Amino acid sequence: MLRVGVSRLLQQGAPKGRAALGTGATRAQSSAPEKIEVFIDDQPVMVAPGTTVLQAAAQAGVEIPRFCYHERLSVAGNCRMCLVEVEKSVKPVAACAMPVMKGWRVKTDSDMTRKAREGVMEFLLINHPLDCPICDQGGECDLQDQSMSFGSDRSRFLDNKRAVEDKNIGPLVKTIMTRCIHCTRCVRFASEVAGVEDLGTTGRGTDMQIGTYVEKMLMSELSGNVIDLCPVGALTSKPYAFTARPWEVRRTDSVDVMDAVGSNIVVNHRTGEVLRILPKTHEASDINEEWLSDKSRFACDGLKRQRLVYPMVKDSSGELRACEWEDALLVAARALTGAQGSVAAVVGGLVDAEALVALKDLVNKLGGEATCTEEIFPEDGSGTDFRSSYLLNTTIAGVEEADLVLLVGTNPRFEAPLFNARLRKAWVHNELDVAIVGPNVDLTYDTEHLGEDPAIIEQLLAGTHPFSQRLKAAKRPMVVVGSALLARPDGGLLNARLQQLAHQLRAGCEGGGAWRVLNVLHRVASQVAALDLGYAPGVSKVRNAPPKVLYLLGSDEGAITREDLPADCLVIYQGHHGDRGAEIADVVLPGAAYTEKTATYVNTEGRAQQTQAALVPPGMAREDWKIIRALSEIVGVKLPYDNLAEVRDRLAELSPNLTRYGDVEEANYFAQASALAQKAFF
Amino acid sequence: MQGQITGHKRKKKQPAISCYYKMATRVVRSGVRQVKPLLSVDSGEARQRVLNLYKAWYRQLPYIVMDYDLPKSKEDCRVKLREEFMKHRHVQDIRVIDMLVIKGQMELKETVEVWKQKHGIMSYWRDTVEPKPKGFLNKFLDGHE
Amino acid sequence: MAAIARITPTLKTVLNPGISSVLVRRHSSTKVYGPLADEDRIFTNLYGRHEWRLKGAMARGDWYKTKEILNKGVDWILGEIKTSGLRGRGGAGFPTGMKWGFMNKPSDGRPKYLVVNADEGEPGTCKDREIMRHDPHKLVEGCLVAGKAMGARAAYIYIRGEFYNEASNMQVAINEAYKAGFLGKNACGSGYDFDVFMHRGAGAYICGEETALIESLEGKQGKPRLKPPFPADVGVFGCPTTVANVETVAVAPTICRRGGSWFVGMGRTRNSGTKLFNISGHVNNPCTVEEEIVCEEAIMDFDGLVACQTSLGTAAVIVMNKQTDIVKAIARLIEFYKHESCGQCTPCREGVSWMFKIMTRFVKGDAQPEEIDALWEVSKQIEGHTICALGDGAAWPVQGLIRHFRPVLEERMASHAAAKAVAN
Repeated sequence: MLRVGVSRLLQQGAPKGRAALGTGATRAQSSAPEKIEVFIDDQPVMVAPGTTVLQAAAQAGVEIPRFCYHERLSVAGNCRMCLVEVEKSVKPVAACAMPVMKGWRVKTDSDMTRKAREGVMEFLLINHPLDCPICDQGGECDLQDQSMSFGSDRSRFLDNKRAVEDKNIGPLVKTIMTRCIHCTRCVRFASEVAGVEDLGTTGRGTDMQIGTYVEKMLMSELSGNVIDLCPVGALTSKPYAFTARPWEVRRTDSVDVMDAVGSNIVVNHRTGEVLRILPKTHEASDINEEWLSDKSRFACDGLKRQRLVYPMVKDSSGELRACEWEDALLVAARALTGAQGSVAAVVGGLVDAEALVALKDLVNKLGGEATCTEEIFPEDGSGTDFRSSYLLNTTIAGVEEADLVLLVGTNPRFEAPLFNARLRKAWVHNELDVAIVGPNVDLTYDTEHLGEDPAIIEQLLAGTHPFSQRLKAAKRPMVVVGSALLARPDGGLLNARLQQLAHQLRAGCEGGGAWRVLNVLHRVASQVAALDLGYAPGVSKVRNAPPKVLYLLGSDEGAITREDLPADCLVIYQGHHGDRGAEIADVVLPGAAYTEKTATYVNTEGRAQQTQAALVPPGMAREDWKIIRALSEIVGVKLPYDNLAEVRDRLAELSPNLTRYGDVEEANYFAQASALAQKAFF
Repeated sequence: MQGQITGHKRKKKQPAISCYYKMATRVVRSGVRQVKPLLSVDSGEARQRVLNLYKAWYRQLPYIVMDYDLPKSKEDCRVKLREEFMKHRHVQDIRVIDMLVIKGQMELKETVEVWKQKHGIMSYWRDTVEPKPKGFLNKFLDGHE
Repeated sequence: MAAIARITPTLKTVLNPGISSVLVRRHSSTKVYGPLADEDRIFTNLYGRHEWRLKGAMARGDWYKTKEILNKGVDWILGEIKTSGLRGRGGAGFPTGMKWGFMNKPSDGRPKYLVVNADEGEPGTCKDREIMRHDPHKLVEGCLVAGKAMGARAAYIYIRGEFYNEASNMQVAINEAYKAGFLGKNACGSGYDFDVFMHRGAGAYICGEETALIESLEGKQGKPRLKPPFPADVGVFGCPTTVANVETVAVAPTICRRGGSWFVGMGRTRNSGTKLFNISGHVNNPCTVEEEIVCEEAIMDFDGLVACQTSLGTAAVIVMNKQTDIVKAIARLIEFYKHESCGQCTPCREGVSWMFKIMTRFVKGDAQPEEIDALWEVSKQIEGHTICALGDGAAWPVQGLIRHFRPVLEERMASHAAAKAVAN
């Protein structure tokens, strides 16, 4: 899709541009114009001018059936299901596209309306196969539901139905194109939200087909969303094909942990097995709107493969052998007692706040100081002392208010696809400009590549770079620092410079310092909670003073290897899958994955959210904080919490924001951080 | 004692729930009163009833073992019978004794008529079942946490 | 839409060849209509008997005092067009003066454009191609005058892809006009800058629909847009645009030169002026003629044919004799619409192909009489429910067929059933 230019903005009153702007376009609606009165089924409603009939009806609590209309996509108006009668209009009007005029009387249940709906329904069904019994969409199909409500009870179609060849668009999305009703939601999603121009229509009339023209993959990190968007069973999930019926599955609202965005999800499960993961609209649309990245959506098949299902202890031959919990905990406890305080912990990217606090308390009680995260963050200057130094301070929804974004050392398309989708949304609708320092990556929208040289950051700070003028002129700039940049050897210096640059830019911002420029985009779900709880980022502490017992909590990135540790060091690994961490472990304690525990995660914005347990952990695996709690009792330093509420009391004691679920706890210590950075480096 | 009085009155008059408050205040005013017996007028009569029940059970035990094909001997059952009666040896209140006797008769009737099932009888010997784990660690090791 | 004209049974009568010389009286007034006097003809080289290039065009009066017309100003030109009562020649018959007047809103900084719809693909219609191949300068000059009237920066002539020779002639004419200083900077010396561009389509009928034409001009698939916003607000490249038919634009300079009152003096009230009529089918001389009005049994103007439950459309007349299989003819017409449906909106995409399937069986009579009612309902389910008017255009022929030839359909079904019974 072409970027919405001046012309699009000018026609904002027109349905195409406006509806696509969605909820977040606060900048565009500067002054609220006078409302106009319309009547929906004789019920008066006051709406803003430019509101469509469909939106006005929604305000009046009347839902108009639709297939092609979707509130986060542009208006196509092609399914004609939303036709309604308007008094004094000869023809029924398409409610999704038609802006209401003052005094209009819309009849959503008149003869003309019902006839129009029935007619459209009949047309849609004549070429739609009768394969509902074997269709994966069956039970959650808009066409099924609406044909029950608005369709005729018999068919007049005596000829042959159309058949369309299926397309192969990759391993995730299955196509059964004969079922397609040509609503073009998928085409619009791909071109508008995902930013890939791969999908389109070919052919004309009854031969029109949705497809990629030549066979190719739908190369998007958001491709799974077309499955949800498709109102019929034309696009379904390939991994989920023929797995379950929607009425059989149980649904548990939860939070995704595959990246640091914290997308809201619904875990669909049945008989102790996660079948699929669907996005859930965050109430305020602040996080993932209603999209979900493919990784978050399709990673759930891994939850039942290669799991650690029983405790293991290394035997005399060096092999890990399955054992009872008592045995494993005793071995671990003996080692911890014998270490005499030389205990360290390293946590991975998927660990919840409850387990984090339990482990930190345990290590501290045993006299250990080194509790580290695998993910690195520079500790120079103020380090992680101020929350504002390591959060995405502008918030994800705040992107829609920004006018200039400088991405430094990050590829949000892969690290946080939904954050990237927000950037694209703002780029399309709000004239957001994006510049990159770092590898020149394709982010699905136009970006200005400033280069890869870290010296550019220095030039930007000094104001000598050609881009500096643009940055200074920006009213609401954002500097987004990627965690890959911070992991560099000179990450501390670069971070300090970026902190100063951001602080410098705040002076020129609208709103007198209320706008926060500095943003850190994390890659892993556990990092913000870990930093909030006082974990040290990076494993240098462990490397510098190798402990006698090392506790690895879900750390599988290989930050610490056997070579970093003395030969007599006992490694305890706790986690649910066990990769590189479990390989070097002497004791393995099986933990729970994010679908199996009620746990707290804090996303990159600093927003605490909780997952809900959809299943029980497999085999002998247990919830993570409980394992640590049990171990603590055996070691003899019993942790003072026996249930979730008590653990959360302890969380609140350390960092109250961790239990204020759903809220972003604001942080605002940029000046101090900048000053300390100045002291440390310059 | 007060509880018993109100309980007694409730049984007699079956008042609506809204009356309870009023009644309670009246009871407090009237103080302690003579209790109306269930069956027995004195402890001697109550004792007789208990002994009768015991005998009735005692005589039925061989048939119970046979009917239910219990993996227990007559002697085991006699021991258990005595044990069950001795559980309540501390009870002094005649009304409670009467109630226990009535329940014992009901239990006997159900048992003799084979309205119960074998495991229902065998649950008298359930003391060997391990108690539920207590404390976090025990629960954890037991798989309850 | 022209198509419907031909299912009105009155038009099935064989017209006299050389129809332009027919003299008729209108029933209710004493005014005599036609034949059109030679001095009142606008398209004086309709038959291509003369030179079509600039020299010949100027000899016929084109580009005469164009500068003066332009200098009289926007209001004068619009005034003359309004006086003339000219109605759009593309089929819908919208008053041209009013339409061009929509463009005269204060500018918001966006340029305005005139788009000339030369995507002539209507069955039986062949008037624009005659203008473009024999009188291209009329259109070029018309672009300039119409463009001035609406304050347009440039005109785009969207020409049907199959019209190769017409496109060539148009381009030659445009080049000549540029060379002569009639177009470009300071067009005709009037101080007004105006450009004319040619754009060749790829042969889709739907691209004759104004918003689909705009989409196609922008390089997208030719699929009609939702209205509102109308092209006058958001048209080609997001700018205010007027889409006008070739004939409408081409008559504008002559109207301005001879005055709107001359034009309004011809034809009935609200249906004034001359019109190109296309006559084809079972006639001796299929031809395009310019005529004031044609009366046989029906009055051939906009309002006269609406009264007959049809419309003038582009004034294309396909004559069919009594031997014509009318069911087959309509089936063929529906096949055309089925083939040309863009597939964007449901009723047209699904409904027209369904109608074609039913009509194909009707041709053989392989259907039940109840299906005639079903077909009627299907056509009603399409009509008025689509984004553009193509759905209506496809529905009307079927409705006309059922309205006027229902006994033919039933008879055919009966005989087919009888033949089948015998065979069994």
